[in-house]
Amino acid sequence: MLWSIGIAIMYVFLFISLYFQVFMLVSFIEVRRRPRHPDLIGSGERAEDGTLPSVAIIVPCFNEEKTVGSTIESLMALDYPHDKLEIIVIDDGSKDDTLLTAQGYEDDPRVRVFHKDNGGKHTAMNYALAHTDASLIGCLDADSTVAPGALRHIAPIFVNDRVAAVTPGILIKAPETVLQHMQHAEYSLSIFNRFTLAALGSAFITPGPFSIFRTAVVREAGGWRHGHSTEDLEMALHIQEMGYIIANAPAASVHTGTPRTVRALIRQRVRWTYGFLRNAVDYRHMFGSKAYGNLGLIILPMALVSIGIAIFFFLRILFYGVQEVGSAFVRYEILGFSVHPSFDPFYVNTSALWFIIYVAVALVLVLIALGKGLGTGKRGLPAGTPLFVVFYSFLVPVWLIAAVIRAVFKTGVRWR
Amino acid sequence: MNTDTQDPVVASRGAQWSTYLIAFLITAFIFATALLASSYFNSRRVADVRATQDDISTDILSLETQFDLLQEYSCSDVAENTILPSALQTLANRLSYLEGQRSSNADEVLRLKRLYSLLEIKDYLLMKRIAAKCALKPVFILYFYSNAGDCPDCEKQGYALTALSETYPQLRTYSFDYDLGVAALQTLIAIANVDNKLPALYINGKTYYGYQSVDDIQKILPELKTLEKSATSTAAATKKK
Repeated sequence: MLWSIGIAIMYVFLFISLYFQVFMLVSFIEVRRRPRHPDLIGSGERAEDGTLPSVAIIVPCFNEEKTVGSTIESLMALDYPHDKLEIIVIDDGSKDDTLLTAQGYEDDPRVRVFHKDNGGKHTAMNYALAHTDASLIGCLDADSTVAPGALRHIAPIFVNDRVAAVTPGILIKAPETVLQHMQHAEYSLSIFNRFTLAALGSAFITPGPFSIFRTAVVREAGGWRHGHSTEDLEMALHIQEMGYIIANAPAASVHTGTPRTVRALIRQRVRWTYGFLRNAVDYRHMFGSKAYGNLGLIILPMALVSIGIAIFFFLRILFYGVQEVGSAFVRYEILGFSVHPSFDPFYVNTSALWFIIYVAVALVLVLIALGKGLGTGKRGLPAGTPLFVVFYSFLVPVWLIAAVIRAVFKTGVRWR
Repeated sequence: MNTDTQDPVVASRGAQWSTYLIAFLITAFIFATALLASSYFNSRRVADVRATQDDISTDILSLETQFDLLQEYSCSDVAENTILPSALQTLANRLSYLEGQRSSNADEVLRLKRLYSLLEIKDYLLMKRIAAKCALKPVFILYFYSNAGDCPDCEKQGYALTALSETYPQLRTYSFDYDLGVAALQTLIAIANVDNKLPALYINGKTYYGYQSVDDIQKILPELKTLEKSATSTAAATKKK
């Protein structure tokens, strides 16, 4: 009986997961079939300098002496009218030489460097907000660099008055470790998701690396909040709540540093998931609400449900996996290590479950390839894709479970 | 810039119900295909097992007929045509796999399992008659188990018997699900006087309850030594020496 209930729940969850994947793909295809505006993304047309708005890019830093230089240099290299670009570096109470390093770039009139006591990223952003009159304001984390043409892809989109923010296409900065190559595949998938979510009017994260906002809307929102250590998520939800649109420009490439170790990755993802869960509570009125369109009806509920689904499958695999290992141990004790290399097609697993899993994995691969195409214009799959598919299945539930526990007990999370 | 046309990336926030419906239909189609394909392959497996059972059933019938005509045939002719224990073992393994799959063909699998038990009993009785008539000394083990979750040692016992079968290919092990509602099986259980304390082994007229290791069984059944060992186990034994 219990077994049958478990199977029934599993198939319901599988259906929900597969449905969401298909929904995203169908939405993507529908977006691509819509007529394009000739002046916007993908047209290859260059906006005239006179029509471009003024932009302030904030670089909030805390102990980033090693990477802040390359971040500022990439901003200085932006293909954007010099008189319309401000680079505001906020040293948020660093204990290393971040301030000195940043001040070394103040010869450029576009660069201004401020120092304040440590208060967290959102306080650094608000500090900069108080020191600029630019029409658009954005952020570039001090471990990221931006492609020269990125801002020219983003700024023209603000011609639409309802657009309050535009997110970029985020790529991994020089992946070296195996884990970073896996994240490369994951980030390609994120590019697809961010693009399609924006097309559905349902983006609910404006990532730290180079999301650009309409300054007036940020002020209307009261600036950035702590947002349970995920100010980028809180700001996006706030913008959605106010009725604005968050767009996406996948061709606006940003390269960001990513965790090199599993431990660092888990810590980062626990923070992200924890932030989502706590903000989900704060913005619970949006869940299931038709007033927020796709965001309220499917995207936010699905983001929440998918956490439960991932944990369910993980615990189920763990439960049966332990039984299998126990059984294999008993078998080994009695029969020894006997390998029968003969192949009998009778024993090939042809259950519906596996068939659906194969389809789901194939869909994920398609979405990753589409994401790579959107972000880099190249075809194919990133090299780390197979490892991503296998290892993330086990890694993701670990940080999800940790984040859920922390969110239930409201423990808070640290950045580092 | 012209703002009349919506940028493809900047869509409206409203939900398009057609997208929800199309996604649902595609997902439902994938699920239906998966379930149908799985059902098809399971039916193929069941048919495969049924065909094997039919073959064995025919072989047993043929053997019984031969036995009845024994006066006209020599014992060696009959002995040469007995069902190989490995054929029964393969069938048992496949049935066990199908049972473990808990597919939609569960009723059909149960029917096949009941038929398999009957075939085992028939083979057992026939082999006993042949042994008596032809002065053969076949070695039998009747193994009673339960899949109802009330027999934690049954899995171990199954492995021990598998190990013995691999060592002695001529050993005839008949496995019976104690809870299977087959009248002939219940009669056998009553005749052998096997209580519901599983696992239970019925060897040479005596019932042994609880897990019996390979060594235990070899002690209980010294006749095993008269059986030919498999080539691999002989090689292993030679190596050990």
